[in-house]
Amino acid sequence: MDVVWSAVVQAVRLIASGDPEVLRVTALSLQVSLTATGLSLLVGVPLGTWLALARFPGRRLLLGLVNTGMGMPPVVAGLVITVLLWRSGPLGELRLLYTPTAIVVAQFVLAAPIVTGLTVAAMQQLNPRLRLQILALGATRWQLLALLVREARLPLLAAIMAGFGAVISEVGASMMVGGNIPGQTRVLTTATVLETSKGNFDLALALGLLLLVLIYAVNLTLTWVQQRERPL
Amino acid sequence: MDGAALLSLRGVQVRRGGRTILDVPALDVRPHEALAVVGPNGAGKSTLLQVMALLLAPDAGEVRFQGAPVDARRNPVPVRRRMAVVFQEPLLFDTSVFANVATGLRLRGGNRAVVRERVALWLARLGIAHLAGRAARTLSAGEARRASLARALVLEPELLLLDEPFGALDYPTRQALLAELPPLLAAARTTTVLVTHDPTEARALATRAIALHAGRVVAEGSLEAVLPAAGLLPAAGNSLRALEPADPLRSRAEIE
Amino acid sequence: MRVLFWLVGALALVLTACAPTAAPARPAPSAAPAPAASAATALPTPAARPANPEVILATTTSTQDSGLLDVLIPVFESATGYQVKPIAVGTGQALALGARGEADVVLVHAPEAEQEWMAAGNGTTRLLVMHNDFVLLGPADDPAGVRGAPSAEAGFARIAQAQAPFVSRGDDSGTHKQEQAIWQKAAFDPRGQAWYQEAGQGMGATLNIANEKRAYTLSDRGTYLARQSGLQLDIVLEGAKALLNVYHVMPVSPTKLPKVNAAGGQAFADFLVSPATQEVIGQYGADRFGQPLFVPDAGKREDEVSG
Repeated sequence: MDVVWSAVVQAVRLIASGDPEVLRVTALSLQVSLTATGLSLLVGVPLGTWLALARFPGRRLLLGLVNTGMGMPPVVAGLVITVLLWRSGPLGELRLLYTPTAIVVAQFVLAAPIVTGLTVAAMQQLNPRLRLQILALGATRWQLLALLVREARLPLLAAIMAGFGAVISEVGASMMVGGNIPGQTRVLTTATVLETSKGNFDLALALGLLLLVLIYAVNLTLTWVQQRERPL
Repeated sequence: MDGAALLSLRGVQVRRGGRTILDVPALDVRPHEALAVVGPNGAGKSTLLQVMALLLAPDAGEVRFQGAPVDARRNPVPVRRRMAVVFQEPLLFDTSVFANVATGLRLRGGNRAVVRERVALWLARLGIAHLAGRAARTLSAGEARRASLARALVLEPELLLLDEPFGALDYPTRQALLAELPPLLAAARTTTVLVTHDPTEARALATRAIALHAGRVVAEGSLEAVLPAAGLLPAAGNSLRALEPADPLRSRAEIE
Repeated sequence: MRVLFWLVGALALVLTACAPTAAPARPAPSAAPAPAASAATALPTPAARPANPEVILATTTSTQDSGLLDVLIPVFESATGYQVKPIAVGTGQALALGARGEADVVLVHAPEAEQEWMAAGNGTTRLLVMHNDFVLLGPADDPAGVRGAPSAEAGFARIAQAQAPFVSRGDDSGTHKQEQAIWQKAAFDPRGQAWYQEAGQGMGATLNIANEKRAYTLSDRGTYLARQSGLQLDIVLEGAKALLNVYHVMPVSPTKLPKVNAAGGQAFADFLVSPATQEVIGQYGADRFGQPLFVPDAGKREDEVSG
């Protein structure tokens, strides 16, 4: 247990002293995961709404794919994207391998199905007549989406938290497509794995604690918004 | 083609699963009139309303608004914005009463001060000004119905479509609204189409009527002429029933 | 509510814009020593930025963990204008990446595998860089009586005889391959034996397991020195020929894949064997561990390398 206590002490020291490497790693983690989650929202919410409300042949197949994507193992996603981004691969020209952008792409692939799938569930919970009422009020397609999103904001916020939680805590994809290069693509999760494999358990735990605090802070903010009682 | 009609339908048919559930060869809604669409449950009244509101494109036929053809599939929004629809359920949003009522105006990009004024005005006219700040989900059935009416009326539409607006209310609330609504509509000279299976509602709000049965128009004309043909009135020996609050399930039983 | 959504979206966009693109300074976590780059003065003056500045270096986790690259790479980068991306993986994967042309230069320490790799035409050249050595670790009381064994394979044989617990890397790494070579020399196959355990993990984690189980294990000296204070394991055998861990650098041949940065790979290889770098290598670790971790060997023949 003393290793946990020494980890807490070290974590506090790392943050308080503003250790530049730790700050850099933390900032990159946040940057990459928030961007991937943001992109997942932009794609997942409209897509999920459309999947929930539209009717077309093959809809159930597509929904099945989305739901499968929710359980995508990060390391598999990472491996597939790595092969695509290889110099010899179809997207090799983009020279994205071992860059933060590649990690964003991989995390987007992981988060988007989660956000989409949960959006579908959220929208299907709404009164089906609501869509008609909104259209009757004279809404354009985008206004319809905005109003439905507002109506389903509680489960949608949960979807955001789920998507963000999935990517900020994943290590398999980040490791594969990022390469864990110090100063370039090292994030909190890959740094934790590295320090663990080196046997620096207290540093690894400290990084892990930092990651937990980060996740908690983001989710606390979102939860506070979700649970606010606003009459107006 | 009747150029004076506000809304006209010609040869409109809606098919579902191989069956024709709506067949209206001709229907005109004249400006400033109040038209009732009556018939038993399942007659196709709500479907007709949706076609009129450009929420549903018919499989055959044409809809014209002020003489110009309109299509629910091709840019219906400008014409929809000249109408307002109140459905059977209040379908309020999970926000304040004020925000609910303001929704239609805000969708049209209204100026904030103007919106605030108009919303306040119609909240007052419907007797719910004191509820402006309340969360819509905390309203009683009657209050919610008033709010959904306010949300439609605040738009001062050229055409107001009501789909069984008072069905789910208790007797006193219904009576109160049936008394308050006609003067409001008359003052604004709003063209109204009211879908209902309740003769009392029809009488309170409309003068002309068409009767639907199994998707087809079986009668058209003045309210008193159409109502019996619609099969909604009780048999002569049961006149007491006409005074009781409308119960959708019971009316259906009587008819069947 | 709308405000919040715009906020999140804006935040995401802002963060994307701020995402690091060019190579920032190479960092060292506070637990590692500060880089000593004073020996860089003897290097050639910084060159103009090369046409293809990105050099992917495939190396092993233990090489990365030693911290040597954190010292050498910044020197190389500032001297030549290349930007190095070190990918630290298992020896097998490093060689495979090189063979696919997904790396420009490979730095590993598994001579037999390297020779096969070169024979397959994957590399333009194979340059001896340095060596460190492995040490056989065991519990202080040395139940198998390894101390005093005349050779590494003799020591291993004593362990097999006593059926003393032994923890292997088991991950196809350079260390693992070295260990397997010694078992071969001892003409014994420990796989499947109850006392032989494969960790499947990095050196640090493997040391911890050996420590917990009071078992024997093979470790590189560098990792052992770094972890010594937390372990109750002692060196029971060192200095034997079979315990030498020899590093070679091999630029990848552009015939494998035209996109290989042959110039960059060669430049890095040349850098590693240059006298100035060799001097840095020879000093590395002295301040932290009291003894340097590596012995520079550039220019020697492989059989000249000794512990």
